Amino acid sequence: MVEPGTLDVRAKQATRRWNLQGLMVVLFLALFPFLASLVTGEPPDAGRPKFWQGLLIQAYIFAVYALSYDILMGYTGILSFGHAMFFGTGVYATAMLLKHAEWGLGQIFLAVLLITFVQGVLFGLVSLRVKGVYFAMVTLAFAEAFYILSEATDFRRWTGAEDGLHGIPVPDFINPTDQRLRFYYLALGFALIVYLIARRVVNSPTGRVIVAIRENETRAATLGYNTFAYKLIAFVFSGVLAGLAGMVHALWNLNASPAVLSVNTTINALLMTIIGGAGTLVGPMLGAGVLQLLGYVLSRTFGPRWPLVFGVVFILIVLFLPYGIVGTWNRWRAHSSTKDKPSLSSK
Amino acid sequence: MRRYRAVLIALAIAVVGIGLVGRSMKPGTLVATLLSGLTLGALYFLIAAGLSLIFGLMDVLNFAHGTLFMLGAYVAWTWVQNPHGLLLWAGLVLAVAGGSATAAWWLNWSPDRRPGRWTRRWLVAVGVALIGVTAWQWLRWPQALTLLLAAGGGLAVGLGAFRPPVVRPPHRRLVWRGVAVVGLLLVTVLLDAQGPTLASAVAGWGSNAKFVSAIVVGTLAGAVAGALMEWSLIRPLYERPIYQVLLTLGIVFAGNEVARAIWGVGAKRMEKPGWFGQPCRSESLAAWVYEQCASVTVLGRSFPTYRLFVIVLGVLLFVALIVLLRRSRLGMIIRAGVQDREMVEALGINVRQVFTLVFALGAGLAALGGVAAAPFVGVYPEMGLEYMLQAFIVVVIGGMGSVPGAALGALLVGLARAFGDYIVLSGVSLPWMEKAVRMSPSIARASTVLIMAIVLMVRPAGLFGEEE
Amino acid sequence: MSALLDVQDVHTFIGQFHILEGVSLRVEEGQITALLGRNGAGKTTTLRTIMGMTPPARGAIFFDGRPIHGLPTYEVAQLGIGYVPDYRAIFRHLTVEENLHLAERRKGDLKRKADFIYHLFPDLARLRHLKGGQLSGGQQQMLAIARVLVPDNRLLLIDEPTEGLAPVLVEQLVEAIRQLREQTTVLLVEQNFAVARHLADTFVIVDDGRTVCQGTMEELANDPATVHRYLGVAVGGEA
Repeated sequence: MVEPGTLDVRAKQATRRWNLQGLMVVLFLALFPFLASLVTGEPPDAGRPKFWQGLLIQAYIFAVYALSYDILMGYTGILSFGHAMFFGTGVYATAMLLKHAEWGLGQIFLAVLLITFVQGVLFGLVSLRVKGVYFAMVTLAFAEAFYILSEATDFRRWTGAEDGLHGIPVPDFINPTDQRLRFYYLALGFALIVYLIARRVVNSPTGRVIVAIRENETRAATLGYNTFAYKLIAFVFSGVLAGLAGMVHALWNLNASPAVLSVNTTINALLMTIIGGAGTLVGPMLGAGVLQLLGYVLSRTFGPRWPLVFGVVFILIVLFLPYGIVGTWNRWRAHSSTKDKPSLSSK
Repeated sequence: MRRYRAVLIALAIAVVGIGLVGRSMKPGTLVATLLSGLTLGALYFLIAAGLSLIFGLMDVLNFAHGTLFMLGAYVAWTWVQNPHGLLLWAGLVLAVAGGSATAAWWLNWSPDRRPGRWTRRWLVAVGVALIGVTAWQWLRWPQALTLLLAAGGGLAVGLGAFRPPVVRPPHRRLVWRGVAVVGLLLVTVLLDAQGPTLASAVAGWGSNAKFVSAIVVGTLAGAVAGALMEWSLIRPLYERPIYQVLLTLGIVFAGNEVARAIWGVGAKRMEKPGWFGQPCRSESLAAWVYEQCASVTVLGRSFPTYRLFVIVLGVLLFVALIVLLRRSRLGMIIRAGVQDREMVEALGINVRQVFTLVFALGAGLAALGGVAAAPFVGVYPEMGLEYMLQAFIVVVIGGMGSVPGAALGALLVGLARAFGDYIVLSGVSLPWMEKAVRMSPSIARASTVLIMAIVLMVRPAGLFGEEE
Repeated sequence: MSALLDVQDVHTFIGQFHILEGVSLRVEEGQITALLGRNGAGKTTTLRTIMGMTPPARGAIFFDGRPIHGLPTYEVAQLGIGYVPDYRAIFRHLTVEENLHLAERRKGDLKRKADFIYHLFPDLARLRHLKGGQLSGGQQQMLAIARVLVPDNRLLLIDEPTEGLAPVLVEQLVEAIRQLREQTTVLLVEQNFAVARHLADTFVIVDDGRTVCQGTMEELANDPATVHRYLGVAVGGEA
């Protein structure tokens, strides 16, 4: 056990160190197109640099999506199996509004915000009445209902049914094919801003209550907090972020297909969070990057069988690396630093 | 009393719902729709019962339950199409099982001669490697050699991983177990010696014999897979329930891919057994006994006889499960364990062993459901997830850990699906609308979620569930 | 002389809390030993540690000379230890008879013991087809004790049998436990000092997760200072 005071000081030092490291990572990512261009000798918006940016853009989008999931799973301790619902809603709302209504980006942004907010409140009110695995199942069923509806032939006119929507008319100035570099910075900025907002929220008094609920819900309730309300806040916040990630996903892929609403999309969020480390903000984002890279490498090595290898890797991670990359790293560091300074561990 | 009230409410809703919809239906259509609902309900029940029992007893939400359903269907299909290949692989499984059963028996017989700690680790490592190599080279190396190697691997893993009991079981029981182990080994050898003969014999069987044996084989395969899954992957994680759920999710992922790798992406058709396969229509069930037609007339409408069989199968298994739970010692342990596992263990019962058994039982039921489903829904990789989702809804409605709850939930969801399909296909007409609105079956599928939401709002623990 | 149960300097953690910080006790064959101490002193955890439900982090436990620390609960039980927890733990959905059947370790255990058990607790014979959940608190307690009598247990761990029972029932239970002495050995956790004094031959006092003293009940009865200090009661109160 560590005395509370020392812990605070150490945490602050650690945060400062993290901040510095984080800044360097952001700087590296910001310069990446040009570094890639230097290494390959190709211009930053063509050839391999352009392709690599594409990989990273997808990773940034999933980073936001995974982060939003971790707010539920890692911070609030709620296991949801229906996160794809929000992501997919963001994708479809964007695609449909662009394709059928030809709204501007700003309007779409507000619309996605509003839709996922309402969605979060509605489904949160119903499903948060139950706990634990029941919640997981209920959210899974809701998401599945959306998936089924997205494939329903009744709405072919709007959703394109099982074919989805293709060739979404994205405004020229951020067209991901022609304006790759611009889109790259848009996605990077998006991920960065969401990260900062999430960090702000997590470290706010509300965030602390949410973590308290994860640790011991009964106790948080005894302390006078309306745990239901706080869980609902976390659920809605997480949902809105996922919806925004979905919006950028639609802009980047220029399409919307039922797959974004399927269970696999939820499982992806889970994978990224687990691989990176649940209960941290950086973890899931890193997990998104690793997953994206791993998927790319595995699919090149194993061809169409790569999901199988991937499933096995996932099982192994759950069995042997339960805290994920960042979690294991943190534990290892905490462990070695207490070994260095025995004075910090009291009685 | 409260339990019965829940059932009454549920049944009242079902009756009122059917009554409202049924008013506009012809009697024949109504009965046919009812029967379709019961068919679906029977299938859902087979998956949901195991899911519910497993969760009730050991708090494991087994997402891979649908994968076991799919496995049953695929194994049955393979058994009918290519018994030879399946038997060859069964030989491998049997050899490993025989080896480890021998190890278990030996450790029970002389508990004092358990190998040391490091020896055990080596044994497990070597054993796993042996089994892996054998599986890799199966069918390439001489059969007797691979058989021996697999059995040796099983023996090594068993010696390394099993723990001898502290209290030696009674002598007589050990002798009987020894006989069983020898029997298993004999079967293994016999199967490998006579495999091709048996395979060609099976290939020559009629469709009925094939089907019945496919039920047995599929169920067994599911049960064995379930037991193995619990023992190897789920057991280490009882202290970390969330990771357990995640792990079963990983199995779903890997399982679907394995199915795609082995059997391909497309849907397979499985032939109906001859009893339900003649291309004709019997006028009554009595006539069917002679004619064995594929369909039978029900109030002037034709209905597939195979589906009636599925309903009967579901009802039979429900009764069997209830009898098992009410009358057998295992059932007593399960009922007690659902309430208080720790106390069951304090009475001297090895609950972990019961866990494995119940997991195998639930998995076997799901696989049986898969076999039963195969002839009328086909066999395809996505079937696992599809049916498992419905089973989840069933279990949430019925309440976790209750077999009657699973049955009632399955009934409700099945009927809702059938009537929902009817409604959306025939169109919804409300008084103020000029013409009926037709919809696709997807809408009906999505609407079962609505039932679940309503039940959860009224009774968060499900109809038969107990509030904590 | 070697004791039937020998607990040596046992330390147990629950989560990160150090609950037992060195409990040692010996239970001699054929005697009733009372485990005494204030609420939260670690009595229940001691019993649970013996049963292997909360395995000890340090220390050793011997039953009949053989180490049992680290064994899974069911094996501890199979060696001949019966446990009656303080929350009774009757299986609500099983009938009285099924509750007893479940406790069989070999086929026929209940048949052999039925007369003895139903003689000891006549109520249970009358109620044998009722569900456990339909019994009253006292009847449940009797069933919980009856349950550990079904197999041939050599040691019974009984946790607060009289807690929350009406005085008439307490008397009935005390009488039943007294009759058990002839059959088995008992380690009894009891808050009611009068009951403990009436029943037990020897005592162990734990406080703050440590054994404070151990001796015969006679000695304790003659040492009001100790009783007052660790149990907070005055000697001489009658049940």
